[in-house]
Amino acid sequence: MPTLVGIFDQPGPVAETVRRLRGRGFRELQLYSPAPFPELDDALDERPSRVRWWTLIGGLTGVTAGYAMTIWMSYDWPLVVGGKPYASIPPYTIIAFELTILLGGLATLLGLLAVGKLPRVKADPAYSPRFSAEEFGLVVRCGERDVAEVDALLRAHAAKEVNLVEG
Amino acid sequence: MTPPPPPPASVAAMIRPMPAPADSRANRDILAVMGRPTIGYVALLALVVSTVGWALGTFVYQTYVGLGVAGYSHPIFWGVYIVTFVFWVGIAHAGTLISAILYLFRAKWRNAINRSAEAMTVFAVATAGLFPLIHLGRVFKFYWLLPYPNQRALWVNFKSPLLWDVFAISTYATISIVFFYVGLVPDLAIARDRATGWRKVLYSILALGWQGTTKQWKAHNRTVLHLSGLATPLVLSVHSVVSWDFASSIVPGWHATIFAPYFVAGAIFSGFAMVLTVMIPVRRIYGLERYITDYHFENMSRFILLTSLIVGYAYATEYFVAWYSGVEPERTAFWLRAFGSYWISTWIMISCNAFFPQVFWFKRARTHIPTVFVVSVLVNIGMWFERYVIIVGSLSREYNPAVWGQYTPSWVELSILAGSFAWFSMFFLIFLKLFPVIAINEVKELEIHERAHANGGAH
Amino acid sequence: MPEIDRREFLKLVGASAGAAAAAGCSEPVEKLIPYVIQPEEITPGIPVYYASTCQECPAGCGLLVKTREGRPIKLEGNPSHPINRGSLCARGQAAIGRTYHPDRYPGPQRRNQAGQLEPVSWDEAIRLLARKVQEAGPGTWLLSGEPGPTAGRWIDRWLTAVGAGGRVVHEPFAPEAVREATSAVFGVASEPLFDLSDTDLVLDFASDFLEIGPSPVEHGRQLAAARDVAAARGRTARLVSVGPRLSMTASNADEWVSARPGSEGLLALAVARAALDAGAGSPEARQALAGLLEHFAPERVAGQTGVDAATIVRLGRAAARARHAVALPPGVSVTARRAKASAAAVLLLNHLLGAVGRSVRIPPAPAEGRRRPSYRETLALVDAMKSSKVKLLLVADANPLYSLPVASGFAAALEKVPFVVSFASAADETSARAHLILPDHTPLESWGDAAPRLGVRSLLQPTVRPLHDTRAFVDTLLDVGRAMGSEVAAKLPPGSFRNLLEEAWADTDWRTALAGGGVFEGASPAPSLPLTPGATRLEVAEPLLEGDGEWVLLPVTSGLLYDGRGANLPWLQEVPDPVTKVAWQSWAEISHATAGRLGVELGDVLAVETPAGRLEVPAFPRGGIRDDVIGVPIGQGHTVGRYASDAEHGRPDAPRGVNVIQVLPAATDEAGGRAWLAARARVQKTGRFQRVAVVQTSQNQRKRRLGEAVSLAALAAGDAHAPAANGHGEAAAETHGDGHEHELLKPYDAAKDSAPDSPYRWGMAIDLDRCTSCNACVVACYVENNVPVVGETRTLQARQMSWLRLERWVGDGDLEGGRKLPIGAKEAPGAVDVRHTPQLCQHCGAAPCEPVCPVLATYHTPEGLNGMIYNRCVGTRYCSNNCPYKVRRFSYFDYSRENWPGLLSLMLNPDVTVRGQGVMEKCTFCVQRIAAARHTATLEGRTIRDGEVTTACAQACPTQAITFGNLKDEKSRVVQASHDPVRSYHALHELNTRPAITYLAKVKRGVFEEEA
Repeated sequence: MPTLVGIFDQPGPVAETVRRLRGRGFRELQLYSPAPFPELDDALDERPSRVRWWTLIGGLTGVTAGYAMTIWMSYDWPLVVGGKPYASIPPYTIIAFELTILLGGLATLLGLLAVGKLPRVKADPAYSPRFSAEEFGLVVRCGERDVAEVDALLRAHAAKEVNLVEG
Repeated sequence: MTPPPPPPASVAAMIRPMPAPADSRANRDILAVMGRPTIGYVALLALVVSTVGWALGTFVYQTYVGLGVAGYSHPIFWGVYIVTFVFWVGIAHAGTLISAILYLFRAKWRNAINRSAEAMTVFAVATAGLFPLIHLGRVFKFYWLLPYPNQRALWVNFKSPLLWDVFAISTYATISIVFFYVGLVPDLAIARDRATGWRKVLYSILALGWQGTTKQWKAHNRTVLHLSGLATPLVLSVHSVVSWDFASSIVPGWHATIFAPYFVAGAIFSGFAMVLTVMIPVRRIYGLERYITDYHFENMSRFILLTSLIVGYAYATEYFVAWYSGVEPERTAFWLRAFGSYWISTWIMISCNAFFPQVFWFKRARTHIPTVFVVSVLVNIGMWFERYVIIVGSLSREYNPAVWGQYTPSWVELSILAGSFAWFSMFFLIFLKLFPVIAINEVKELEIHERAHANGGAH
Repeated sequence: MPEIDRREFLKLVGASAGAAAAAGCSEPVEKLIPYVIQPEEITPGIPVYYASTCQECPAGCGLLVKTREGRPIKLEGNPSHPINRGSLCARGQAAIGRTYHPDRYPGPQRRNQAGQLEPVSWDEAIRLLARKVQEAGPGTWLLSGEPGPTAGRWIDRWLTAVGAGGRVVHEPFAPEAVREATSAVFGVASEPLFDLSDTDLVLDFASDFLEIGPSPVEHGRQLAAARDVAAARGRTARLVSVGPRLSMTASNADEWVSARPGSEGLLALAVARAALDAGAGSPEARQALAGLLEHFAPERVAGQTGVDAATIVRLGRAAARARHAVALPPGVSVTARRAKASAAAVLLLNHLLGAVGRSVRIPPAPAEGRRRPSYRETLALVDAMKSSKVKLLLVADANPLYSLPVASGFAAALEKVPFVVSFASAADETSARAHLILPDHTPLESWGDAAPRLGVRSLLQPTVRPLHDTRAFVDTLLDVGRAMGSEVAAKLPPGSFRNLLEEAWADTDWRTALAGGGVFEGASPAPSLPLTPGATRLEVAEPLLEGDGEWVLLPVTSGLLYDGRGANLPWLQEVPDPVTKVAWQSWAEISHATAGRLGVELGDVLAVETPAGRLEVPAFPRGGIRDDVIGVPIGQGHTVGRYASDAEHGRPDAPRGVNVIQVLPAATDEAGGRAWLAARARVQKTGRFQRVAVVQTSQNQRKRRLGEAVSLAALAAGDAHAPAANGHGEAAAETHGDGHEHELLKPYDAAKDSAPDSPYRWGMAIDLDRCTSCNACVVACYVENNVPVVGETRTLQARQMSWLRLERWVGDGDLEGGRKLPIGAKEAPGAVDVRHTPQLCQHCGAAPCEPVCPVLATYHTPEGLNGMIYNRCVGTRYCSNNCPYKVRRFSYFDYSRENWPGLLSLMLNPDVTVRGQGVMEKCTFCVQRIAAARHTATLEGRTIRDGEVTTACAQACPTQAITFGNLKDEKSRVVQASHDPVRSYHALHELNTRPAITYLAKVKRGVFEEEA
């Protein structure tokens, strides 16, 4: 299946092109950009990233673990210190808080890897170091007979060049 | 625009490799920092490494002979080690603040410095984390501070502020590393695409095969957002917890409710100062003026001015409350802090932290780089002495005048103090050669946008 | 001294076990294999006690020697002994160290041609000495301390048998002047016995009776009893101390009368005159003394004594008013050339006040022939030595080279003696110069007896097999005699000294006496003696002093180092002086005025010059000393001994501190007794500075009420706020008027108890009105709990390890900023307001140290103890930071390795952990004793009884200032003591740490006022 790569200089036109292509029913799109751009975020997929669920679950685990650990350990071998109750919630809240942050953060990292399909060993055939410079790459996989149309459409939207690469 | 080609005979026949035009300037400039080390660099690295070695030696000596080789004398049982611990924890706050809080506030000027600041955070925590162990009477039992299952079925005391420290500091270390790394991944991809040899291998592994697809960027944004959301309360909590080591005790001069905000402000204060102290020479040496502009330094100077005011206010409050409380030990502690045997340290602290930064009221000073540099160094000194005054000064004048004490650091402590600076510098020097010192992708984000506006929305 | 290895250790244990088994009955038996045959009496883990007698000073307190597995590990007072009744002073507590001391001679040694000491066998040594004695004949002289009666008798027999010249008894602190005075006034040559228990006024003429003499433990106890406010609120005894400086004794007085040193006699007579005018005394006494007292009107004496007439009159009237007043004669440091007259004057005062026969008992003179200490004879011997009349000098239990003034020329004389033999068990200055050393046992290894006073016969018995190749002094003499041939041997008894001792005690039940520590009869009746005709013919006048210096050189007596014999016991060096709180060093006390004139501050080295010599010593300015006096303590300046000399700094031959005796003239009083106060000194600033090892940073408590005091009036009113009478309302108001209000003790509240079903909650009550800061508790704590001694260098770094320290507070203190001086200017003549606060772990109910420990190394036990688990401690030291009392210590180094050199490690208490490097430690309320008591109680199926267990400090305390017990037992003594509505308080109670220790405020009795 042919794969066309349109090279752009600006994020704006890219977003526009993507909208057109999807309007024309092209679904197999991939978009490389040298930096994050809000205008591109929802171009391919409107749904918010699923990373947030990871954070939430991580955080909840942390807070529960924090309180559970501190309180259980206090009663596992109860000792009086400074005439305070065996389990003193105020200080334990600090531990719980820190664990919330810790597990929340680690879970978020895992979320990034899972959602971003990282780590990956092999690079896409369509990927080029240019995209880690300052150019945008819009990859369209289409049927042979659509090549010309896509090519034209890309050029029409300020793709400074269009390359046909190995699919 | 090239004319449309004739209808293809065979698509496969038309496949040809993508041309690779010249690299972007941002990439070239910033990756250039990672180039061949100069003689000066190597010499400096050698110096710091040997200093670290010396400090390590003295530490081994101290561990073998006993803490008596340090300057401790009853009742002053916390000294240079804890002072230095708090100092470095403070330094560690700038990075997260710049990355997380300014991120949440969408302060774009942070982009030029957040990478190096985050790096400093990681290294500063790595430095600070050593000191609670170095100061232990029996360092070889340090793992007893962790709640691990053991035969004695003996757990740790979660009521102890030191335990809070264990959790806060380790959490902070972990999260700052995560933050640092997450931000680094796209730039590692850039480096990967341009590196050769062992660096190629290294960056390929570290970059995790990042390609900058929008899906990845989206997840990345979300991750950075959440991490910022988590790191912001964390950074506030860490120095609060550290301050509670003191505030939750009953020592006159420690037992003050103002400590948490006071310490956090002080931490940001010293952290920014350290970033300036380090980045001004780096910018100069590696010619990064295009990315780290005076405008950045001016903004940081503003921050230093602000936090300096907060810190100064905290000093004033401490003295006022001590006087107004009418509690004699409190009053005496603070009186002797200013006019007793530790008066020099106290006045160094007040002048460096509360007075000198006031020059930043003037734009001339804020934009005059040498001035900014000097002030930043003074602030670092002042903040070290602040902790010295709080810890040693208070311990030496407690409730029982029969055992008021006097403490002077020993050569062992000073060696290890020097070692800590070397240790920090060592990591930073290596960082300069290994990772992009500026967050390239964020710089580009700005640049590309600016260009868009420049050619007035050609589309 | 090399570390002792396992094999050696086992030998000693086995051997000493054998000895202990045999101790009661026969000669030590040789057993070198430990416990193959279990010795009877010994159960591993169970201590065995042997009664004995303390040899540290002539007071002769009874001991119980606590031995474990055959090793003495602690000395405790013998409760049935009439002199100390179960208490023991600091010196007695430290005496345990003599047996294990690294300075001990391993065996007999002789000096070879090269002048080096080399080991020699006992037989050889004895034969050598026998030959020497034969050669020397009447040129043989024995210079010794005062031996026990039996030993003394046989020593004299031996001297005659071998045809020796004779012997001289040398006791530097012997109260010869008092003895002579007594014979002059009452015609009996004996030292009067003073009983303070039933007095209501004690006039102390610089006698230092709480520190050194005549019987500090006993007098401490009696004074406490007489002053006990609980027993006799209204009529609690008052102590008025006359003297040139605010000594430890004076610090415990109610009034300090700062008189010229040496003028005590004059003052005594003037007071007597005032008392006479106030109508004191029986008609006969008045009539007898009227003539003499003519010449001593207060106004006339005022100038000479430096005390204004009004004060003298006031004291006289008080003495006249008092029911039972007693006056104590001048002590060592003020015995001047007219010491006999001064002492006589004080005795006459007692006579007038009717104290003689009641509080002052004059025992009959000791049996003829019993040699008493005599300085005159000592000097005579020195002259004989100079003129080479002495061919052979035997020195036993004496260190004349240190304790005799250089001016006496003893050192030079010693050179003239061809052969000097020392019987010292440990190295000292004199034995280091001897040609032959025949080491004696230490008291804990010896047989012996003592007759400290009429009606008290006390026994010494060995509690361990001699650790070294030593031999009892008398046995050595007997062997020498026997070696001198049959005709000498015939004059000597068969058997050993032990047999002689048993014979001497034949009139008693030997086993009972041995078990009980001796035979104690009740106080024999001492009739009030008439004055001798010449009694009132006194040459009382100002002291004659050599030199034209501006200051009177006052040799200050130290309750710790005594005459210097304490200097090689590490604990007595480590424990600071009770007044200046200086440890390990010498200092010169001068007044602030003097300091101002010389332009010196604390630590500036002064050059003190008398006709007899010159010494350099750092200045210690304070308010509590006269402007015309400079005081230098006796006891330091030794050049031999691991702890006594400066060996710590690698200079074993250099002196530690200065020996003030070296600059004293060899002066005597009218009767030939030793005159210590004999020189004026020129004092100059040298410009050098020496850090003074002051253990207590400041004696100004800044109104923080660590050491509280209430006035008598407040006490009577039953309320601490009451405006105090006799002019001290202000002081009393200060005590509680600084915004705080006096908090009544919160009694133990069961509802708040974390372990309600635990039968015990241990607590303590400390009565500051009884504490005299004698340091007995401190040394007891060191020995009981294996507390390391750190030495001078680390003392200067404030790294002392003491679990219990005595804090000396001058008044309520003021809010002056960081003053350099440890003692502010607050010490002044007149009413004394010094409080001594034993400071130890308060075992707080809400202990600040506990919650901050990250690893739970310190926590609260169900019995209310603040537990410290060394094994768990990682050494964050946070607990100490958070302890407001600052009673936690940190082991900076591995003390277990370095602080008990040689055999000293054998005296470690096996029940107490020796703390490792890097952990915190602190007072445990002697938890090991509690555990032992609980063990017994459990076996007998009951709970621990009140008084069954007590801490080492409480046990040692001569004045019973410390009460330990169970706070949950309403009837316990500690609860009774704690519930004083006025005096009880918690240190720093505003911090709400809820301590288990309740202090009872000191009572300020104030000065006597003119009645309207």
